[in-house]
Amino acid sequence: MADAEGRHSIAEFRHGYEEEGRLRGFRSGCGFVTATWGLRCPRCGAADLAEATLSGRGRVAAFTVQNVPSDEFLNEAPYAYVVVDLEEGGRISGWMPSVRRPEELALGAAVRWLPSYKPGVLFEREPPPAERTGA
Amino acid sequence: MRETWVAGAATNRYGKMAETGREAGSRVALEAIRSAGLEPKEIDLTFVANAFGIAEHQAHVGPLVNTALGIPEVPSATIESACSSSSAALHEAYVHVAGGFADAVLVVGFEKLSHLDTLAATSYFAIGADYPYEAHNGATFPGLYALMANAHAQRYGTSEAELGAVAVKNHANGALNPHAHFQKPISPEIYRASPVVASPLRLYDCCPFSDGAAAVVVTARERFPHPAAEPLVVRASVRAGSIGDIQDRSTLTALPATRRAAERAFRTAGIEAGRIGFFEVHDCFTIAELIALEDLGLFPPGAAGRATVDGITAHDGAHPVNPSGGLKAKGHPVSATGVGQVVEIFEQVNQRAGGRQVPRTETALAHNVGATGSSCSVHIFGRR
Repeated sequence: MADAEGRHSIAEFRHGYEEEGRLRGFRSGCGFVTATWGLRCPRCGAADLAEATLSGRGRVAAFTVQNVPSDEFLNEAPYAYVVVDLEEGGRISGWMPSVRRPEELALGAAVRWLPSYKPGVLFEREPPPAERTGA
Repeated sequence: MRETWVAGAATNRYGKMAETGREAGSRVALEAIRSAGLEPKEIDLTFVANAFGIAEHQAHVGPLVNTALGIPEVPSATIESACSSSSAALHEAYVHVAGGFADAVLVVGFEKLSHLDTLAATSYFAIGADYPYEAHNGATFPGLYALMANAHAQRYGTSEAELGAVAVKNHANGALNPHAHFQKPISPEIYRASPVVASPLRLYDCCPFSDGAAAVVVTARERFPHPAAEPLVVRASVRAGSIGDIQDRSTLTALPATRRAAERAFRTAGIEAGRIGFFEVHDCFTIAELIALEDLGLFPPGAAGRATVDGITAHDGAHPVNPSGGLKAKGHPVSATGVGQVVEIFEQVNQRAGGRQVPRTETALAHNVGATGSSCSVHIFGRR
């Protein structure tokens, strides 16, 4: 289908965050933003799903600290699995190896994507403003 | 459409099976056929559910089951819809019988995972989620439902005591079910002492990995008007879907597929949630039962926890939920679960449920979810 040409693939999504320092995603005409691969908007069904680079910055919308991981994360537990509200709208899922207990993270906490050699989309806490302008 | 019945049903005891899924599935299939007063040669079509058959290095099990039943010429297909595989198979059977394409359809679901360790089983289950966008980011199924539990708690104040009340209730029911994986009641203290798997969900918030097999026989009333047991009349058989990834959905505190399927099912059956005699719902985690009861409309959003604490959903309460013990205590042999719920309804309707017998059996509802609600089946049953 012509209207699907040029759209990135799941492999390119992974290559983007693993190798290119880029979080690839999509923005629909209805305003919906997602990282999840597709050919039509899952919310409104529209075809005008444009490729977008996601900021990777946002706030924690929901999280859990997993003590029992799957095999791929065997040596990482405990860690937080998070859903992040991106600052440009939309949500993305990821994980936070730095969070080992539920008390260490709060809903609404500012987080940012951290490119890493570890699997998946890894987030870290947004440093406080003083640190951000330092260094 | 033709009046369609569940005319026979059977299950084994969930837990740990020494035999293969194929053997257990064939045994319960024969038992279900016989309980309908039929013989295997009267079956026109077989639908099998065995989502994780790969764990036994076996696919294409339909012909093997049919061969074991002495009906190798009967067509078969495997239906896969993660944890809702066998209710999806039941729906296909309903469509075939109600539509006049078959007169008697065997639906059999089975799963055997107990030879895997917890890590391997968790990893197998995780492939039912969106692998690159959920599992590869570290999500497990307890983790995904834990996210929903946290979101539900944030929005409605759902407490540990409310989640625990679901576990205590379903274990109490399971203790009265000879087919249940767990047949021991638990106390709130035991619940609270269990370790956290994925915050806030504890071990006793999670259903077990179970082996098991369950089967039903779906028939056309006009072709087989004199079943051996009291049949379930299928008043609605509805499936619906949701966006696969929970982060892409508009809500984290409900399963849109349940709401869609329930709305259509209640409309088709001409009944509302409050008038259903009892429910078998998909409580893979305690939070899932609360969300299911809210999505089905039995309670307003945020109210199911309180109702559970108050005993309204106990097997002798006003609205019994999961008298079988549910996935939580009866167990969750993935592809047996959906038809296993219907086996419980069949037993209840035939007054064979012993100490867990519910008082009102004129109507019953089975709710079965695939993954985190990207698939959902709702079946409503009535009496002749």
